[in-house]
Amino acid sequence: MRYAWYPGCVSQGGCPELYASMVKVCSALGIELEELKGAACTGAGVLTERNPELADTLNARTFALAEQVGAPVLTNCSTCQGVMSQANAKLKADPKYLARVNQHLAPEGLEYKGTTEVRHLLWALVEDYGLDNFKAKVQRPLTGLKAAPFYGCYILRPTKVLGLDEKPARSRYLEMLIAACGADPVDYDGKFKCCGFPILTLNEKNSVNMVGTHTLDAKAHGAHCLVTPCPLCHLNLDGFQPKAAGLKGQQINMPILHLPQLLGLALGLSAKELRLNHHIMSTKAVMEMVNA
Amino acid sequence: MRAALEAKRRHADVALISKVHPVRSHSVAAQGGINAPLSAGDSWESHAFDTVKGSDYLGDQDAIEFLSREAAQAVVDLENMGVAFHRGPEGKLAPRNFGGASQARTYFVGAITGHAILHVMFEQLLKAGVKIYEEWFVTHLAIEGGFAAGLVAQEMLTGKFHLIRAKAIILCTGGCGRVYEPSTNALICTGDGMSLAWRAGAPLMDMEMVQYHPTTLANNGALMTEGARGDGAQLRNALGDRFMIKYAPNKIDLASRDVVSRAAQTEIDAGRGVDDGLGGKTCVYLDCTHLDRDFILERLGEIYELALQFANVDITRQPCPVRPGMHYQMGGIKTDLDGATRIPGLYAAGECACVSVHGGNRLGANSLLDTVIFGHRAGAHAAEFARQVDFRPLSEGVVMESERRAQAVLSRPANGESIAKIRLDLGRTMHQHAGVWREVKGLQTALNTLYTLKERYQKAPVQDKGKVFNTNLVFHWELGYMLDSAETILLSAIHRTESRGAHYRTDYPERDDQRWLKHILVGYRPDGAPTIEYLPVTLTRWKPEPRVY
Amino acid sequence: MQVTYRIKRFDPEVDKTPRFQDFTLQVGENDSVLDGMIKIREEQDGSLALRCSCRAAICGSCAMRVNGEPRLMCKTRIRDAAPEGLVKVEPMGNLPVVKDLVVDMGPFWQKVRAVKPWLEPPAAKPEREYLAPNEAMREVVGVVACIMCGACVSDCTVWEVDPNFLGPAALAKAYRFVADPRNTDNDERLKSLTEYTGIWDCTHCFYCVQACPKDVAPMERILALRREAIKHGYTDHNGVRHSDSFAQSVKDSGSLNEGRLAVETQGYLNLPALIGLAPVGLRALKAGKMPSPLHHKRPGASQVKRIFNELEKEEKTT
Repeated sequence: MRYAWYPGCVSQGGCPELYASMVKVCSALGIELEELKGAACTGAGVLTERNPELADTLNARTFALAEQVGAPVLTNCSTCQGVMSQANAKLKADPKYLARVNQHLAPEGLEYKGTTEVRHLLWALVEDYGLDNFKAKVQRPLTGLKAAPFYGCYILRPTKVLGLDEKPARSRYLEMLIAACGADPVDYDGKFKCCGFPILTLNEKNSVNMVGTHTLDAKAHGAHCLVTPCPLCHLNLDGFQPKAAGLKGQQINMPILHLPQLLGLALGLSAKELRLNHHIMSTKAVMEMVNA
Repeated sequence: MRAALEAKRRHADVALISKVHPVRSHSVAAQGGINAPLSAGDSWESHAFDTVKGSDYLGDQDAIEFLSREAAQAVVDLENMGVAFHRGPEGKLAPRNFGGASQARTYFVGAITGHAILHVMFEQLLKAGVKIYEEWFVTHLAIEGGFAAGLVAQEMLTGKFHLIRAKAIILCTGGCGRVYEPSTNALICTGDGMSLAWRAGAPLMDMEMVQYHPTTLANNGALMTEGARGDGAQLRNALGDRFMIKYAPNKIDLASRDVVSRAAQTEIDAGRGVDDGLGGKTCVYLDCTHLDRDFILERLGEIYELALQFANVDITRQPCPVRPGMHYQMGGIKTDLDGATRIPGLYAAGECACVSVHGGNRLGANSLLDTVIFGHRAGAHAAEFARQVDFRPLSEGVVMESERRAQAVLSRPANGESIAKIRLDLGRTMHQHAGVWREVKGLQTALNTLYTLKERYQKAPVQDKGKVFNTNLVFHWELGYMLDSAETILLSAIHRTESRGAHYRTDYPERDDQRWLKHILVGYRPDGAPTIEYLPVTLTRWKPEPRVY
Repeated sequence: MQVTYRIKRFDPEVDKTPRFQDFTLQVGENDSVLDGMIKIREEQDGSLALRCSCRAAICGSCAMRVNGEPRLMCKTRIRDAAPEGLVKVEPMGNLPVVKDLVVDMGPFWQKVRAVKPWLEPPAAKPEREYLAPNEAMREVVGVVACIMCGACVSDCTVWEVDPNFLGPAALAKAYRFVADPRNTDNDERLKSLTEYTGIWDCTHCFYCVQACPKDVAPMERILALRREAIKHGYTDHNGVRHSDSFAQSVKDSGSLNEGRLAVETQGYLNLPALIGLAPVGLRALKAGKMPSPLHHKRPGASQVKRIFNELEKEEKTT
């Protein structure tokens, strides 16, 4: 299996542990990653909001680069997935629009033909790799670990664009993977909700309140950690958890794992390889629990 | 809301009382549009004549002239207040075709015209600062010394009864469609105002004139707008024939609703109906498949959705099974041109009222017009009336009377016959005997059934014994109102031994201008059978002629 | 077919907490979830409280949570909602429950009122209608289609943590007037919408877009309002600085520079806010997560810059 890997800005910026764990996990699973080094930011919704055509053009460029690689795009970010899915749907639905966008790619000798598929690691593992194949690679079953899924808005909604209308199970993949790792998925209200990251700089109180609400909700349901396929959710849930604890007036201490980190633990990778020490909220309790 | 707005603009102290939030009112479901002779080459006379002809000459022509003369300004006023009407190339209002109209004069917002207007009315009420009592259910209309003096309403949130004193009261309570099963009408259309006014002494007029809309969905009775045919959709029978050519060679699918409904029902009765999806062949096809998909989605998006949801039909690709269904009550509380009833201080406007502009059959897109024109007018006159009179003395005793009635219902053991069962029996009886076809035996049977239903109603309990948001008790009140409406419909229908407009008597299939060019009014007597009275139809310039479409 | 409804019930005169009650009944092939609810109310338990009226997805009364998601019950088919014969019905979220499935819509209407929900047309009344292109009317009708059912508010993730937020329905309503060429007070409207509780508080979670039964896409309208606010010069806001900094960062390097974004959003002169950032930065530094101050350009960054220049120029000319 081979993908045109789109690591996204955050795994190359604020969450280097994601980049590292992604590389290790894919290697352990035998997934070949061809990194799209020249691809730009998806715009994370911010550019779409300012100038939709500009954002769509940058994404079309990424898709064209993937066509050159001859493989589907693989992301490790819910936000990237959402923005690229929306852009791709728009470009594929409207040939005239695609042609207009392609005019801006032409000077670089690129053209998006409309054939690229974009798949998050979460989807790729369940739909392409197969849960059974994954289970066969598990070396360290995470028995006893209660992990609460936190999907991130962009990989869920709108369901029409994110393929959940045809594949409703996509809203259960995290639980399925958590179980495949040998851990117990925790059900709680917050799993589909917003982490608050997009309004962090606009209304920090509300943003941090969201962090506190969902982490405490998961904690009340017995979770030892949260697992997220979205590094932006990670930034907020992890980085702003101390503030959230202050706002809520109680200790939270909830480790926030990137999806590849959880998978890596089950695959037998070391905590160091997965850079579990590069978090704001200590992941020590999780490591001890699974003897990593 | 138009009435409240007008009264407020004339500096009256206005409160709007509604059993639902104002934007839930049933005008919200009007789809196709609102008529006005606005375009070059159109005239109020032409609109008026179409309305007179549509009414089968039962409409009062002075009222219809007034409606048509005011229509253009009324629609412009709505536009000026914010209604986002469809536009033509120069940014001007652009109409669509509609049934029974000699030219295109129906102004519209997709297939949500009523909704678009209703929400703008609500916006204007907020802007004007009209006090709104939402989810207050009126249980009694108080008359003192022959004048309207106030009303009693139950606040649904708390179950508490309140007395509201008023110098003038305008009833804008809509129709009584739930008297029929099935019906296109919302569940709230239970004839509350008609019954309240009737029992207070204001007679109901033209109640036998019940419109069946030709195109409703079999599964749930939902309306498929006449705008579809206005925009080019065609009716076909099981053989694929455009049967309307036979019945209305000139207007074909756009003949008036009574004519199209009878034609469709004739085809269905003759075995040329199509599958209704419920195991019968009680439908004909509404065929839009020759129309452009984007055109349908822009102008008829709402019915595209409805058909997809409830009939599992994509109207852009397949013809949709539809059948005639009860839709509108042309009759109602008799009012004059100012909306005044025979009780001083009591006004009525909209479907609950009968001016009468619709006579035997209402033209599509004249109902929204009726509500805004006569709502405006009633609001203006009620405000003027209120300026000239004082509050009438009114004792809290009337509140206790409503409380006592509620308590009597609440204290019945919960295991009696359900009000829903009585409502269903009523609806089916009315549909069977007082629908598209009528004859004396059936109507008499229905009336007998109605009287037994009234007896059953007197014993029917509610299961909810609580105070907070007791919808069960509300339905009980409503069923009482419905039974009154049904009684007046049946009495009038038995009485009118001719066929006119929506009232088709198989035992008297001809129109009889000699004997029946007149209105039937049914009055309430607390201690005896209802009274029947006649009023001549006002004719101004149009002599009755045979009606051909 | 036979289905079981699992209905969340609460009678404030009897119950201390909500409870679930099951009802089993026969329903038709194309019946809506509402049809079944009415049947339950009529045949099994007359005390079941819910709002409903038109049965045709236009009056906006019957929004509830069906299997956890806000839906108009009349627009949801049972066979879709209960493929395995069980459907769960609960009152909408974010609004106080009055009884069973009836919620207090008061806070909802309060927000609608707060956006001055009426047209302010030009003072000079025309003889007839105001002229307006049909294209603009179509855009407006996209929001006029809103039936004020509250489904969007039910699951709004910002309203959940901050009930002061104007919320998706009211903001979409506000857009309806801003987008109307007949409206005259856009400047004032946009100014007040830029304040706290307004357009910049939306977190972009798509819940309202997903919830809306009439495809109004409230979030998209909020984003459109942001664009309008910027056009009207209301740029002294973290939201605008955030957006500008984000765009500039991508334009300069092809990717996002989070460190720069954090600082520029507060504004270089906003010392208290910058100091507020410090503990977060320190913690990140300690964890080895602080983005490098030397933000490297991606390969292809020059092409990205070119695309930016081309499309920003196009935007200015249109």
